[in-house]
Amino acid sequence: MRLLNQISGQARPFFTLGVVALAWLVVPAFVKRFARTALFEAQAPALVTAGKVRQLQEYWALRSRSVNELIAAGSDTATALAGYELGVARLEQVMDENRRYRELLNLRPLPGWRYQHAGVMTRDFSAWWQQLVIDKGSDYGIPLNAPVVSADGVVGRVTEVHAHTAVVALVGDPGVRLSVVVEGDLWPVSYTGGDNPAFGPARGTVEYLRSDLTMEAGGRGRRLLTSGKGGVFPAGLPVGLLTRVEPSADGIFQNGEVLLPSGLSTLDNVTVLVRDPAPAVPMLPAAGGSLP
Amino acid sequence: MSPAAQPLPEGVQTHPGSDRGIGLFYTLVGVLLLTLVGGLARQQLLQADMHYEREQRQGLRRVIVPGPRGRIFDREGRLLAGSRPRFAVTLALDELGAEFRAEYRVVRDNYRAAAGKDQPTTAQLEQIARTSVVQRRLDSLDGILGRHTQLDQAALQRHFSEQPLLPYLLLNDLTPEDYARLVEQLPVNSPMQVFASSVREYPLGALMMGAAHTLGYVGSGESAGPPEDFPGNNLDTFQLKDWFGRTGLEQRFDQQLRGGEGGAIFRVTPAGYRINPPKVKITPSRGRDLVTSLDADMQAAAETALGDQSASAVALDVRTGEVFVLASTPGYNLQDFTPRATQAAVDDINARGAFFNRALDGYYPPGSTFKLLISIAGLRTGAFTPDQVMDTPCDGRIRIGNSWRTCFNGNESHGAISLSAAIAESCDIYFYQAGLLTNPDAIAAEARRFHLAARPSLELPALKDRSFIPDPAWKKNSGRGAWFDGDTVNMSIGQGDVQVSPLMMACFAASLARDEVFTQPTLLHDPGAPTQHHERTGLTRVQRDALLAGMEGCTTTGGTAPNVTNPKLPSYIPGLRIAGKTGTAQYADHGAKKNIAWFICFAPAEAPRIAVAVAVESDELGRNESFVGGTNAAPIAQKILKVWSDKQARAAATAPAGQTISFPLPSGQ
Repeated sequence: MRLLNQISGQARPFFTLGVVALAWLVVPAFVKRFARTALFEAQAPALVTAGKVRQLQEYWALRSRSVNELIAAGSDTATALAGYELGVARLEQVMDENRRYRELLNLRPLPGWRYQHAGVMTRDFSAWWQQLVIDKGSDYGIPLNAPVVSADGVVGRVTEVHAHTAVVALVGDPGVRLSVVVEGDLWPVSYTGGDNPAFGPARGTVEYLRSDLTMEAGGRGRRLLTSGKGGVFPAGLPVGLLTRVEPSADGIFQNGEVLLPSGLSTLDNVTVLVRDPAPAVPMLPAAGGSLP
Repeated sequence: MSPAAQPLPEGVQTHPGSDRGIGLFYTLVGVLLLTLVGGLARQQLLQADMHYEREQRQGLRRVIVPGPRGRIFDREGRLLAGSRPRFAVTLALDELGAEFRAEYRVVRDNYRAAAGKDQPTTAQLEQIARTSVVQRRLDSLDGILGRHTQLDQAALQRHFSEQPLLPYLLLNDLTPEDYARLVEQLPVNSPMQVFASSVREYPLGALMMGAAHTLGYVGSGESAGPPEDFPGNNLDTFQLKDWFGRTGLEQRFDQQLRGGEGGAIFRVTPAGYRINPPKVKITPSRGRDLVTSLDADMQAAAETALGDQSASAVALDVRTGEVFVLASTPGYNLQDFTPRATQAAVDDINARGAFFNRALDGYYPPGSTFKLLISIAGLRTGAFTPDQVMDTPCDGRIRIGNSWRTCFNGNESHGAISLSAAIAESCDIYFYQAGLLTNPDAIAAEARRFHLAARPSLELPALKDRSFIPDPAWKKNSGRGAWFDGDTVNMSIGQGDVQVSPLMMACFAASLARDEVFTQPTLLHDPGAPTQHHERTGLTRVQRDALLAGMEGCTTTGGTAPNVTNPKLPSYIPGLRIAGKTGTAQYADHGAKKNIAWFICFAPAEAPRIAVAVAVESDELGRNESFVGGTNAAPIAQKILKVWSDKQARAAATAPAGQTISFPLPSGQ
């Protein structure tokens, strides 16, 4: 009897674990979803704090720079700013012209975008997925599937929105697919993230390239831009460099390999493009999911 | 005091090393560990092969795709049939099992709640659930694309019963804009996926509807499967349907045009993501191209001239037999068959009788064009000479046996004329007597020598050969009684039971042009093809000159087709001498009496390069008294010749200096 008591006492943790595991199996799906969301929301303050601490570290690292370095940086910034000011003025002029032409041609006005800047709190890279957590969520009106960009071009798209945070699947993630064009061409092709080597920049692939598309001999590659026809991303955002093409298995098109910007893994700030007004882009569920 | 005797502090337990309880626990753990290790060893060592194969099956997917079909060009390299990409959305039904089951329960419960008398069976409930789920998926696509599409329930049911493992085609022929939206807005691992395949494309389909019978169309079907050496025979395989030629050149050269199968073996993640690049990739090969002898410009000109009449036109290269034009109207637009023809389109084609290839399978009495053969038969047998005048001059009618026969050509009598004039003016009275002088057996023999009793082979599937040359023995043996002079005179003007096709008459004209008895036509272009040589006609120089003079007289003032060389008309072709012969015959078409207007010719008359035959069907007889070869068929041939002549002139103008475009005379001249 004593022996049985001893064994049962020692096995109690295992038994408890088993019961919990069984209970989890039969828990309704909405409870699991709630638990997962609650867990993420509970983690959020820690993630935000870690992000703030990192920013503080960077702040103090900058504070440690010498005055001469700061003066030089300020001078460079002023020069760049002047260039940007000129660029912005030119852009506004072109946009005005574009608006007038569209009015003359009775074309629908282009959708407006609101730019929501956000800081990167964590980065999660693996061979299977690549994602960021940013410090803005539904509190800033971030919608699901919103495009996320940086100075290098497309960063990815929002895949989860929480109260104060959002998860962004990077453009190198195999679950991200975009309609893109090769610069100088109008034929839309399909870009999909995918090949994520442990060291070095992530890569993606493109399908349905025209069979007569060629690479420039000795060139670095051809730029891929968003086509703007997919309904999610505006046109003309750089995605990556098309570095290699080869005949596809269907014999009709070519496939290509895309080199993504290396800066994706070191991003500190990104911009979320929010449609103005912000309709959520309908995204269909995968197999087994329920439809809206 | 020994340590054992000292009391232990509260909460501290001691366990002797030989505690039986602990020993039993250790044993239990040991057994469990041994079981684990043994199981691991069994799985890893003994069943490694099985697991490897299972991993391959679960983690790999094989996709087999047919190679793009070869292209079909005209003789100048213009694309007549090619392939274009087609984007579609497919739905992987095998990934919707849970959704189908959930919908089934909902539908069943709803019916039970309604408590009606007519409760559906389980099979009906399953079908309703499937339709509901698939329609919902379709609606979601419509939401992205901003359209409304109704699910074809019968097609879905058919797909489920016949090919449940293959993805179901939800949307087809997407525009690039639709495709771009779906690429960006469908999840990568959705059961609905954008999918590209190739379909036939006929860039000149609308311009060359009369060549649809020649080019043919394709239909999809299951291929024989991947080659034996294609890896991954044990893997889950998704094989796309291939295209097969159903008619015309597409059918005749199907093996050549079909591409070699290729495909890929992909790794997939447990979540269903495809991992690029594929583990194995075999690029499919394009089928071999086909360069036809057709000339798109001439074909289009012929079809424009034929218009919406029931008619056909054939043009051949006199030297090689290459077919420039093989037009049959009404035709149909092959673009209507890509990717597949709708029932409405097929019904329309049937109603217009447009599936019938009149150039190849239309058999008619040759009318007065047959007088050329009567002439040759008579001249070769010595029945009459070129300058001989028949006993009875043409005064509009002649008594043959107990009946009067009329000269159908010309409102006035032709009088006493020689062979050349009789050909040029197509005098029936002359040829009634010429036929009687020659005798029917000699005429039939000559017709067979000129291969007018059997269709020449051509690289096209064709209906039954209905060409026919009658003779006295045939009439007697077939129980139709004795052969009378009336039969001979009918035959002498290409009436009665004589049956030939426009293709045969074009070959006949080409053969006459080369002074030979046969021309082998071909639809394949060979830039280096030599001039054909067959048995000579056997005519003397004088006899042949008389024949050619008659044919050229036909197309000049006083002939039956003077307008084809009339310099006052805008259609005039400067400098082109045409040797031709008109014909008009009566025939029965499904009980209705009709006229068939003929014109056969070759040009230039002095150095023939091209031969043409045109046959135009009339409406019902009686309403078309002016429906004759010279008026209704010859102008069509002239338009073909005009395009040909212009091309020759352009070729001569662009020929390098020192190089001349020669027009060699037929051998023997």
